[in-house]
Amino acid sequence: MGPPKRFSGKGEGRASKKRKKEEEEAWTYEEDDTNDVEEAAVPGAAARDAEKNDQNALEDEFGAKDYRSQMALKPDNASRPLWVAPNGHIFLESFSPVYKHAHDFLIAISEPVCRPEHIHEYKLTAYSLYAAVSVGLQTNDIIEYLKRLSKTSIPDGIIEFIKLCTLSYGKVKLVLKHNKYFVESPFPDILQKLLKDPVIQECRLRRNVENETEELITQTRKIFLHLVQSPVLPGTKLETEMGLQLQYQMISRISTKKSITKKEEEETSLQTVSFEVNQEKIEVLQKRCIELEHPLLAEYDFRNDTVNPDINVDLRPSAVLRPYQEKSLRKMFGNGRARSGVIVLPCGAGKSLVGVTACCTVRKRALVLCNSGVSVEQWKQQFKMWSTADDSMICRFTSEAKDKPMRRSWEAEQTMKWLQEQEWGIMVLDEVHTIPAKMFRRVLTIVQSHCKLGLTATLLREDDKIADLNFLIGPKLYEANWLELQKRGYIARVQCAEVWCPMTPEFYREYLVCRTSKRLLLYVMNPNKFRATQYLIRYHERRGDKTIVFFR
Amino acid sequence: MNDQAMKQFLLHLDETLKLGRKFIIQDLDENHLFISADILDTLQAKIDDLMDQISFPLAEKRGIKHSFFFSQKS
Repeated sequence: MGPPKRFSGKGEGRASKKRKKEEEEAWTYEEDDTNDVEEAAVPGAAARDAEKNDQNALEDEFGAKDYRSQMALKPDNASRPLWVAPNGHIFLESFSPVYKHAHDFLIAISEPVCRPEHIHEYKLTAYSLYAAVSVGLQTNDIIEYLKRLSKTSIPDGIIEFIKLCTLSYGKVKLVLKHNKYFVESPFPDILQKLLKDPVIQECRLRRNVENETEELITQTRKIFLHLVQSPVLPGTKLETEMGLQLQYQMISRISTKKSITKKEEEETSLQTVSFEVNQEKIEVLQKRCIELEHPLLAEYDFRNDTVNPDINVDLRPSAVLRPYQEKSLRKMFGNGRARSGVIVLPCGAGKSLVGVTACCTVRKRALVLCNSGVSVEQWKQQFKMWSTADDSMICRFTSEAKDKPMRRSWEAEQTMKWLQEQEWGIMVLDEVHTIPAKMFRRVLTIVQSHCKLGLTATLLREDDKIADLNFLIGPKLYEANWLELQKRGYIARVQCAEVWCPMTPEFYREYLVCRTSKRLLLYVMNPNKFRATQYLIRYHERRGDKTIVFFR
Repeated sequence: MNDQAMKQFLLHLDETLKLGRKFIIQDLDENHLFISADILDTLQAKIDDLMDQISFPLAEKRGIKHSFFFSQKS
């Protein structure tokens, strides 16, 4: 009843390993995240939308669109699992024998819209395609694979859209090596194009001033490719096509720990060109590159980082990753470096283990940003449970800060200064969807971290702030399917119930006549709601259930 | 909302002239009000608005599976 409430205060904490500290500061941002005038720079292609591509399709009286002229049904459609509509929506049969492959692929290239039991709906967006490129898929791979999976021909508009969104994305990377920033790309022509831009020229760092026509640094790196061989599905024409090298994964610490089945190793060499950039101009550079439609992907070559000390922390043998956790981490460490991005896992699916594993993989100073003091405690517990980090390595930094860094009593200001001076290997942002862009920018100006991992259970797509996340942290690397995890027993079955708690007439009367600010208070204090909640808590306590109460 | 609380809402609308004028002719008992017939349409629209405000919009949100724990729209 009554108006919705705003969050009135939020804590923010950080836990970090080695000389760590955590902090909780009460940020009050009553209104300030709504009038955030400053808009994130978004490349032109990202603003494009496939949604309007089907405006000339005929509609019947129920609003169903006739796409027959744009999509020709293939004769063997029964063995293919999906449709791609001209508006960018993809419909996948979850009962198809090749569902698993199609699903893995769609997760990489599109956003899930709705995933009930039999038909799943996904949507191609500029951001989802950007994310696809950043995990290593190429424009042609995406189009070819989609063609193979589709029951019909792919509408021309969609092919155009995919090209538009992927050709310029993910081609250029910002890499931190030996504490120097480089812009790196396997495509020399793109780098040359960027270097013709006067703003970018300004950002380039020339070690040798006399030599104006300094050559780009070319290097060849040997990389190992794991080709994932998909199981052969008898009876489908697609069996050979499914073995596409789409899902290649390069060796990562995680995958080597496990026995690798159905994979073969292949040695390939990858040639890249790069130029060094002035560290102070990084922000200008990033902004300019976005404007030029070549957003810089940030990657951290932590294995070759000799400047920052290694932190001796490992996963405990008891920490066993579930398949989807491993999959999400492979997306992050897929090429032996740490990519920045967001991993979406439902509540209870073990987000913290993913975070802890990421920190143990990078093995550099790590900072975990939480949104409440309770969450800080939980992260500490999780670190102690899953990794070899102990109390001496973990420092909580909260408003009630008990652990003082360097065993001295530091004032908050000094602590912030200390945070500022460190070069962090990885920064984990817990419940990243709750962090408004403005605060996030503030943290970014204080903390220098090589790589950022956002963890969340939800990306509220109706919120434009998601666009900010894409460019402030990085693309979405992985999103798990809630229903599927539930089915396999990884997370508890969800049952939702709405309980109406009417106010008593007297209480409601007061509520109607009072000021807005006081209304909020009454709304929260509705005695009937308290009684109902109390009843439910008692009921579940008696059954021995665990209970969490959220309220707003 | 139970009838008694709804009655309070109507009394409030009446007292604050939210519908432009007074419309309650007689306060009968704790569950009943006697109101003028010509206000009925306006009043119903107003009550619909209220109900929309305090109900969770199930139908509008298609991606609901992914976000229903966190987003309560008013």
